[in-house]
Amino acid sequence: MTRRGIIIAGIAAAALPGCIQVKAPDKPIEINLNVKVQQEVVVRLQRDAQDLIQKNPELFPQ
Amino acid sequence: MTRNLLMIAAGTAIALAAGLVMTAPARAQSGVVASAMSAGTVGEQADGYLGIAGSVGGDVRAQVEAINIRRRAAYTDLAGKRGVTVQDAAAATGCQTLSSRVKEGQVYRIGAGAWQTKGAGPIALPAYCADAG
Repeated sequence: MTRRGIIIAGIAAAALPGCIQVKAPDKPIEINLNVKVQQEVVVRLQRDAQDLIQKNPELFPQ
Repeated sequence: MTRNLLMIAAGTAIALAAGLVMTAPARAQSGVVASAMSAGTVGEQADGYLGIAGSVGGDVRAQVEAINIRRRAAYTDLAGKRGVTVQDAAAATGCQTLSSRVKEGQVYRIGAGAWQTKGAGPIALPAYCADAG
């Protein structure tokens, strides 16, 4: 049993240099979507603003 | 019967006259703001409100304040609907007024900057107005 264990350990050790090691990062991966969301809010608001002006002409004299 | 009709007619005439008296000053006041805008003494600001750019009478000043109060109510309403700040709703409207309502020769102001007169070309809008128009 221990002999077998040693053999396996040996094979594992021999295989190590050829391994690609993938290590999970310590910190969670952050994908920043704030810019896109902010842009969408602005575009939507612009349309709302157009409506607001059209519906309240007395508030927007020219 | 004829007497009743006469009374109704008289009542209608009085109501009409009252209506004219009520609406005439309001119409005149919105006119004075438009005139002041043409004169360059009142202008649109990027913050979504009207501003006083020059020497104006008390009637113009009062009317500008009244319009701004009502604008603020409209911005507050929009902000509540969209979950943004009143300031954001006002600024988005400011982008629209500057990009499509201020006419050549009228004045406008961006932020705390000086009043500028609109030329033949479009107004250089603040960066946050990116998609206005």
